[in-house]
Amino acid sequence: MRKKALYTNDPHIQALAQIVGEEAILYRKEDLIAYDCDGFTVHRHLPKAVVFPKHTAEVAAVVKYCHEHDLPFLARGAGTGLSGGAIPLNGEVVISLVRMKRLISVDLENRRAVVEPGFVNLKLTNSVANRGYYYAPDPSSQYCCTIGGNVAENAGGAHCLKYGVTTNHILGLEVVLPNGEMIEIGENGILDPPGYDLLGLLTGSEGTLGIVTKITVRILKSPEAKQTVLAYFDRVNDASQTVSDIISAGIVPAALEMMDQTAIEAVEAAAFPVGHPNDIEALLLIEVDGISAGIDEQIEEILHICRTRNVREVKVAQDEQERAKWWANRKTGFGAMGAISPDYLVQDGVIPRSKLPEVLQQIQQISEKYGLRIANIFHAGDGNLHPLVLFDSEKPGETEKALAAGSECLQACAAVGGSITGEHGVGIEKKEEMRFIFTDEEITAQTNIRDVFNRKNLLNAGKLFPTPGRCVEVKRA
Amino acid sequence: MNSTGQNQAKTLGNYRWGDLPDPNKWADCVHCGMCLESCPTYEQTGQEQHSPRGRVHLMKAVAEGKLEITEDFIDPIFACLDCRACTTACPADVDVGGLIEEVRWQIRQAIPLTGTKAFISKLFLQGIFPHPSRLQALGRLLKLYQKSGLQKLVRQTGLLRLFPDHLAEMEAVLPAVGEPVRKKYKHSLVKAKGETKRTVALLTGCVMDVMFSDINEATIRVLTYNGNDVVIPPTQTCCGALHVHAGDKETGKMLAKQNIEAFQDVERVVVNAAGCGCMLKEYPELFRDDPVWHEKATQFSEKVEDISKYLYDTGYERPKAELAMRITYHDACHLAHGQGIRQEPRAILASIPGVELVEMPNADRCCGSAGIYNITHPEMAQAVLQSKMENIPNEVEIISMGNPGCMLQMAIGVLKHGRNEKIVHTVQLLDWAYQKENGKEWRT
Repeated sequence: MRKKALYTNDPHIQALAQIVGEEAILYRKEDLIAYDCDGFTVHRHLPKAVVFPKHTAEVAAVVKYCHEHDLPFLARGAGTGLSGGAIPLNGEVVISLVRMKRLISVDLENRRAVVEPGFVNLKLTNSVANRGYYYAPDPSSQYCCTIGGNVAENAGGAHCLKYGVTTNHILGLEVVLPNGEMIEIGENGILDPPGYDLLGLLTGSEGTLGIVTKITVRILKSPEAKQTVLAYFDRVNDASQTVSDIISAGIVPAALEMMDQTAIEAVEAAAFPVGHPNDIEALLLIEVDGISAGIDEQIEEILHICRTRNVREVKVAQDEQERAKWWANRKTGFGAMGAISPDYLVQDGVIPRSKLPEVLQQIQQISEKYGLRIANIFHAGDGNLHPLVLFDSEKPGETEKALAAGSECLQACAAVGGSITGEHGVGIEKKEEMRFIFTDEEITAQTNIRDVFNRKNLLNAGKLFPTPGRCVEVKRA
Repeated sequence: MNSTGQNQAKTLGNYRWGDLPDPNKWADCVHCGMCLESCPTYEQTGQEQHSPRGRVHLMKAVAEGKLEITEDFIDPIFACLDCRACTTACPADVDVGGLIEEVRWQIRQAIPLTGTKAFISKLFLQGIFPHPSRLQALGRLLKLYQKSGLQKLVRQTGLLRLFPDHLAEMEAVLPAVGEPVRKKYKHSLVKAKGETKRTVALLTGCVMDVMFSDINEATIRVLTYNGNDVVIPPTQTCCGALHVHAGDKETGKMLAKQNIEAFQDVERVVVNAAGCGCMLKEYPELFRDDPVWHEKATQFSEKVEDISKYLYDTGYERPKAELAMRITYHDACHLAHGQGIRQEPRAILASIPGVELVEMPNADRCCGSAGIYNITHPEMAQAVLQSKMENIPNEVEIISMGNPGCMLQMAIGVLKHGRNEKIVHTVQLLDWAYQKENGKEWRT
């Protein structure tokens, strides 16, 4: 690669380069374009610069500099977020944490590990798997997303039905506050000391309260046994009912996933096809794990429930290879949309499980109303929907239509007593939709908390909460 | 270089030189980021403009008129190893490698190389590789260098220190130059041992035949041993991969046409170099705007197969002699990611009695050779090689693979890191087993 001499008159760039080194800063337009959005591509803004600190002290120094000079800034990991949390709306200095990617320590005795924020989610499991352990939160982007980003978004995943989301697996954090000060919460992996639950507050704060520079996570013993079932349904209603029945029967599957017909079309057209039939309305991917004793009985019961609900075909994975194939197909589902549509927008509503048939019906109506296809790939077991609105940003007005359709999906979720996000965060995408579930007073109460940490609101401003009296504009890509 | 006539009037944003990049290729990318971790240059830099999705984003920005083709745009596009690992990782099958090559062509039209770079590029890509006789002459020169004592002299006098490091390293691992099979079997058919079951043509490769003629010999022996008559069409030429990777699509097309014609009378073309095989299979992409040649190229590409897959699919005789060796296998990018061939070479190795096949972690990670990348981007190539070396399992005797570029690069790695593994082509190992079985001298 070409070595580039620092050539700029901008004193801020020069100062930041002093802190992180000339090889650890980007400021030319050509280099910045790759940072104008994350996994949410509807909004695009160029950052002022991107810096790549190597350790906490450099993060703190950069933050302190930005704080003192009133430069907006934000943290970024792999940039796979789906709600725009890492988009530099205000021309921020982007602090990329991907070079802080060490696995600092593994303590099997106490079942915990310490990682830097840029450490990739799946690498943690890969590092301890041979000793019989794993890290439970498994967002579909786990092949490449960073644990720092998982903390910011309180990421979920297919297996969070049984094991909980990121916040249930965080034991301690080292955080650089928006003024450059460094604090530690939950030192030595001992959970929060008495007082307010700061770990809980920081996890899922979407990068608005501080920048996490070190994370202590819980690791779990790998389950002794694991069985996976794939069930094809002619009617989506039958699939929804099966989900309810399985939970009502007292079974807690490790994962319970659904895909509808449009989603199946996409994954089958993409890189990891399984050979799902194209004429079914829905499929369920169900996994149970735990100690060996009793697993077979649970599987029998699940098969029985599926048959009662008119399943067309149901099968149990015969080996690890088959299981892996089913999961690769499911986990690459969002990216697979590229095979059937130029753009997509994924929503993240949560509803009570019992409302599944009703809300899916409404989503279908929204799809017809806007004339845009909507695929559904989601965590049915915990009622966490992912309607994927398919559109073409090249067609005038279609981006706006897609946004409106997505928003209506969330409204439908909120209307049945649900929420607008389960695991992707609010970011830019859903900030106006916060009004569906919070009153102005409730929102103000939350921004007051933010202001305690982020007094100047330089850190990741314009995210998470609606801007009073202003509607979000769509900037044409 | 001149751009092609057909598309000259058309432009796409700031791509203005005909033969435009294919917008459908980036339309598939939804920016999900699943490619990031697969990319060696992203792993090294952590910078998204050096990641597959970042590169796609940039290439699209030029088409949208948001970016001009400038030096800062060129850098990430040429820093790509073209290893295709992202193609394997991508849920939507985005052909990043293909896009990169199409855009490099545009870049070379916009900003032609100048000075020494232009001279060297022209000398090798247009002056030598397309001309088998010149390449053979170079081989003879190299042989003279090795045999005359000049090599010894140069090494002893420390003259090599005057060379850049990476060239000196390459000199150190150059294999002894043998006799090219193209010359040896000119106009003749090498008959199958016993009854003829099939007839195949062998692509001898340009560098392969000069530097690694022993592998070509081994390939011919293994093919004939398994009932194949082998023909070596005399008018065949370099596959053009290096040219297309470098953005010289014109020469690439010219070579493709020559090969398509050279092989038009055969039913099967067997290739023992992953990079060449991948290129031959992708000839249709070169002629997207030329229906006549596109059709010819499609027919041709369907005839092409890698030696490992060909043997595996048509059935080969299981060797009976034992090679008691601990072997690990390195997936050449253009075999694993480019052609989806992973299991076949492993199966061949495992079928040799006595061979203990040990999996290498991240076996399908690029070694940094990537055509001439180790010459154009020595620092990045070294960093990528370093990661590769760290993954070689303990106490293996042999690292096996199916691509000459990887073989040179891995040999440099072994030398540089003070290791002692031997680098051997997959088909050579099978050949050793057959030779041993028949009481011949089997290990070279």
